Amino acid sequence: MRNIKLSRNIFYALLALLMITEIGYSQDAQPAQDEELVKDCYESREDYGYVERRDIEPALPNVICSQTTSRVLWWGDPYDGTIPLGDMPLEADYSHEEAVVTPREKQLKIFMPCTTCHNGKTVPVPKNKEPRLIQFHQDIVPNALQLMHGKGSIWCLDCHSMTNRDKLISFRAEEISLNQPQKLCGKCHGEVYRDWRDGIHGKRIGSWTKGGKKRWWVCTECHNPHTVDANIFLPIKPEPAPALPKGMKSADHEHKEYGHQ
Amino acid sequence: MADTNSKIPDQPGEKDNGTNRRDFLKETGLSVAALTGAATLLTGSQEAEARVTWAEWFQKSYRLMTNEEQKDAIARLEERHSQEFGKKVTVDGSPAMKDVLFGYALNIKKCIGCRTCVHACVKENNQSRYNPELQWIRVIKMEKGEFLAANMDKGYPKDYGIEVGGNAYENAGVTLEGEHYYQPETVPEKDYFYFPIQCMQCEKPPCVKVCPVRSTYREPDGIVVIDYNWCIGCRMCISACPYWARRSNWGEPNLPAEEMNPKTHYLGNRPRMNGATEKCTFCLQRVRNGRYPACVEACPVGARKFGNLLDPDSEVRKILARKGVFRLKAELNTYPKFFYFID
Repeated sequence: MRNIKLSRNIFYALLALLMITEIGYSQDAQPAQDEELVKDCYESREDYGYVERRDIEPALPNVICSQTTSRVLWWGDPYDGTIPLGDMPLEADYSHEEAVVTPREKQLKIFMPCTTCHNGKTVPVPKNKEPRLIQFHQDIVPNALQLMHGKGSIWCLDCHSMTNRDKLISFRAEEISLNQPQKLCGKCHGEVYRDWRDGIHGKRIGSWTKGGKKRWWVCTECHNPHTVDANIFLPIKPEPAPALPKGMKSADHEHKEYGHQ
Repeated sequence: MADTNSKIPDQPGEKDNGTNRRDFLKETGLSVAALTGAATLLTGSQEAEARVTWAEWFQKSYRLMTNEEQKDAIARLEERHSQEFGKKVTVDGSPAMKDVLFGYALNIKKCIGCRTCVHACVKENNQSRYNPELQWIRVIKMEKGEFLAANMDKGYPKDYGIEVGGNAYENAGVTLEGEHYYQPETVPEKDYFYFPIQCMQCEKPPCVKVCPVRSTYREPDGIVVIDYNWCIGCRMCISACPYWARRSNWGEPNLPAEEMNPKTHYLGNRPRMNGATEKCTFCLQRVRNGRYPACVEACPVGARKFGNLLDPDSEVRKILARKGVFRLKAELNTYPKFFYFID
């Protein structure tokens, strides 16, 4: 009898000790509360596709962005600020779908249309498409003789219209809107274009349903055509790693060198 | 001793009969504590346990409820959560759509390991943000490895490593062990690839097989769901899942009110309680209303694809038809509806 009681008391004591340590353990760091909300965000490409966080309805923001990388994590309204994708070749099966894109040409209006300078007078129309060094736009292409696209086989004016600089141009001299770069890119990158058209390649948001409305990402929203030879997709900062399990001091055990020294 | 333990404490005639004063006091104390607990529950105190209403405590398994009872349960939750988070919270109860079987495909070649999906999922699905920090997607960094002639004969016995089971101390090439906690400046890193894992919504889910109270089950649209109220927190499903997909609330969840997503579903992203198990539901609250899951929308490289497996024109079916696909741990016969593909 006494033994049973003694062991029971020990059991209770141990239980109490366990509970105390459990409480002691649960003092994890709480994230900072009054952090300024990130408002200037980007969608896929860090140097392109900016979006500003605002409320479309009370307590419903258009986007929620990451506090560490300012990348868009969540869309309140996937069709915010979009226009119809426009007419597409007939062979595609998206004719039954409502497809929208975010217009690129509106950027020209906000900053300045290219034709403000490239009007034939301020900057004369070039005589031919031969590559040469250019003084301007070094932020886009640092060295115009080494354009990182097509491994040296194409140059600026193969894609940008010589006479109307607000438009792209195909090798058949058709003018193409900056809102629909896929019509130009697809001329060479046919296989990827086919996958993109069918929703296998590239990004879409909105409705998954058959015939549902979707916002499509066009080629240049993810790929920078001027540096694509160097990086198909420009490296970006990752979101923070998960918290280490309780009691684990570091994640060194994951590294290949661990235990080999 | 064993006899006295089984006795009802408040019976005065029996207390001299083998029960000493100390045991009596202890047991009475316990029952008083239990009564006080129930009283707190009834008066609706803000104590953590008492936040759950009396009716919610005693409700049935969601699957066995009549439509009326389901509506009542949803109304109770809406009221409680709206109060708790200080905004209008809706709890959807919409059933599975007809002729829909949800499937997922992930392009393993495209994934750059940026964890955008992980954090989009947390924003959408109301996981506990810290202590415990719960995330339904994990991204593993895998090494491509290098094959070096210099490593060939490392190991024991010296100079004959590869002939005796090889490379006992040094891997010749790919290790495929993976890292969870990588944090480089930018991703993707050279010579690594990335492998995201989440709930595979198996056709033969081991987690469903082991649940002793059947609080987790498959819906007609193929999604494995959990009735958080019916879950007893035994964590059997966590041990059973071969994909490490399930998470337990190892404490009272910490979900800041301003970050709480008020559009919820009963079987999806409604706030969970201490002890409940949770996992990816393909964003049930979104996909049953026609919207893509949050991770699909968030992926900046478009590696994640989602759709109806019964529709031959859907994105997933086209991937299955056209690309090389595989299922993770297919040898376990779990039949995941989550496919990995390479283009």
